[in-house]
Amino acid sequence: MVIKAENIVKKYKELNALDHFNMEVKEGEILGLLGPNGCGKTTAINCILSLLKFDEGDIQIFGQKMTPTSYNIKKQIGLVPQEVAVFENLTVEENIDYFCGLYIEDKNIRREYVKEVIDFVGLTEYKKFYPKKLSGGLKRRLNIACGISHKPKLIFLDEPTVAVDAQSRNFILEGIKRLNKEGSTIIYTTHYLEEAEMLCDRIIIMDRGKSLVTGTVEELKSITSTREKIIAGFENPEEDISDKIKSIPHVLDVGKAHGEYIINFENGTNNLSNLLDFIKDNDLTYTKLYSQLPSLNDVFLELTGKELRE
Amino acid sequence: MTVYRYFIKITTRYKWIILGYAAIFFLLSVISSINTKTKETAFMEESLNIGIVDDSKGSLSDGLIDYLGKNNTIVEMENDIDYIKDQIFLEVVDAVIIIPQDFQSRVENKEESVEIFRDDRKMESLQIENQVNKFLVFSNATRRDGKFDLARVKDVLKEKVNVDVLKTGPTSKNSGTDAWFGIYFNFIGYIVITIYILVIGLIMAEFNDKNIRDRMRISSKKFLKSNAEIYLGQITLGMLITTIFILGGIILKGKHIGEVDLSRYLINAYVFSFAILCFTFLINNLTTSRFAISGVSTVVSLGTAFVSGVFVPQELLGEKVLAMAKFFPMYYYVRINNMKAVSAMDMSYGLRMQLLFGAIFLLTGLGFSRAKQKI
Repeated sequence: MVIKAENIVKKYKELNALDHFNMEVKEGEILGLLGPNGCGKTTAINCILSLLKFDEGDIQIFGQKMTPTSYNIKKQIGLVPQEVAVFENLTVEENIDYFCGLYIEDKNIRREYVKEVIDFVGLTEYKKFYPKKLSGGLKRRLNIACGISHKPKLIFLDEPTVAVDAQSRNFILEGIKRLNKEGSTIIYTTHYLEEAEMLCDRIIIMDRGKSLVTGTVEELKSITSTREKIIAGFENPEEDISDKIKSIPHVLDVGKAHGEYIINFENGTNNLSNLLDFIKDNDLTYTKLYSQLPSLNDVFLELTGKELRE
Repeated sequence: MTVYRYFIKITTRYKWIILGYAAIFFLLSVISSINTKTKETAFMEESLNIGIVDDSKGSLSDGLIDYLGKNNTIVEMENDIDYIKDQIFLEVVDAVIIIPQDFQSRVENKEESVEIFRDDRKMESLQIENQVNKFLVFSNATRRDGKFDLARVKDVLKEKVNVDVLKTGPTSKNSGTDAWFGIYFNFIGYIVITIYILVIGLIMAEFNDKNIRDRMRISSKKFLKSNAEIYLGQITLGMLITTIFILGGIILKGKHIGEVDLSRYLINAYVFSFAILCFTFLINNLTTSRFAISGVSTVVSLGTAFVSGVFVPQELLGEKVLAMAKFFPMYYYVRINNMKAVSAMDMSYGLRMQLLFGAIFLLTGLGFSRAKQKI
């Protein structure tokens, strides 16, 4: 186990920022911390890294208790904070060299590492630029480079794609996959469902400082009662037919949004076929009909009663 | 020494601030150096424009006007206070003397006999009071049977005293060069506060950014070691700035360096620099806002320079102003620079006070730093 955090409690006066938070990270995996803004993701990371004192609980990294003076553990950790944390008065190359120098004292090794990481994040042609001359996406890449230049075994990435254009986002996500393939264990916090689904081996869903549920994407989706969701739009009739639809076998509930019916089915087979029979029997004409598997948002909705992006 | 190296590297990005201040400072110093009459080491009388309102029209008032007219230009004026104040404000005259109708009886009764309005902006206007007092003292001394012997007064006032300096001791280096160095080093105090707070403050605003701080705290480099390198960088920068300005003074007045007690100025300047470095440390623990740092730099440097006697000699400042100035090391720094006769004992009080302030700033800064870390 790379990280084991048990029952972490962090209070800010009356507010419980972390409420008996638990987390286990296995070597070589990408673990996603998924939750809405303000749910405690960054607080959890800061507590694990001893940047914040916590009130209760125990944290072990690489099998050792993590404290502010655990320099041997820190040597193997890289942090990419949510905000871009670089010196405005140092160039791209100097910034990376500075943060790498906090871990690696040998100049020659450092020079090699800095060059490698600049290539890795695609900033070679910008290495003499000052951060203020870089676009938001390039700044994010620099932020990542500063956190991983010393080749850490364990990398914390705190929402690294916030406010980033699509091209840079893909570049960053591909880079994270490559880092993982090269052997790094990654903790990735995000509130973007798609990123978590695409990237993470396992996901912890957080809300109000608690870890609600942990598992692979498939495991998480399997805990919802909804097994299939069908969205259907009809030309006729104009009146609401939600109650009629509920008579179809295995229908859990029916919602209506933008003139379309969202029909949730529990376990069962031939749900789409049953719906088509219903349409035929009732002389309905459909304008739209497609099936969706449950998303992580559905999981979150079922666990907390609210949307992940609320 | 990565942190130290990059601290110095970031410093070079602010070189234009340092060079800008240095250029203006040296330019003004060169100008003042050219204008300094180095042989003028004693009090010298100046010829002034004096307005006279003579309501007495007696022999005594005539005698006074005659005496003042020998070294000054006399202008007759109306007895209109507003007009008189306007003339002084507009620098038409340096002072105005109102001689009242009962002037003679007032002199006889040793009461305040004339009213003097003078231009406080001009130090030389002080001599008018001396001249009037001198005339009245001598006049009273010649009074016999209710009459003044103005002829004798005239003769006595003609007399001059010649003073020959036979030997100058080690404490009498009060030459024009010494005065120039005193003023120059006083201004170094002002510039040191400005540049230290501004440049070190701006650099530290980057190092104290919470996210950069977190990155440093999570690294495998001991936090104390990183901080030690930052402070070493601050000391290097501070001492470099102070040394540049000291060398500037030595270059400008290199020929006369033997005439001044340079060690006094050097020790004083470096001790003061240490105290201001500690003050900068305190400010950096209070704020990381660039606007606040810029504001503090301007307000503290100008404010303390004014009340401590950098721009106006301490002798001309009010008691309340000086009492206020004593709460900042600049006052003690300026006092040492302006001392006429200096021994180690004379200096030690001022130096100890500056070091004490440095220690207070340092401890207070550490207190704030710890409070921030506990959050």
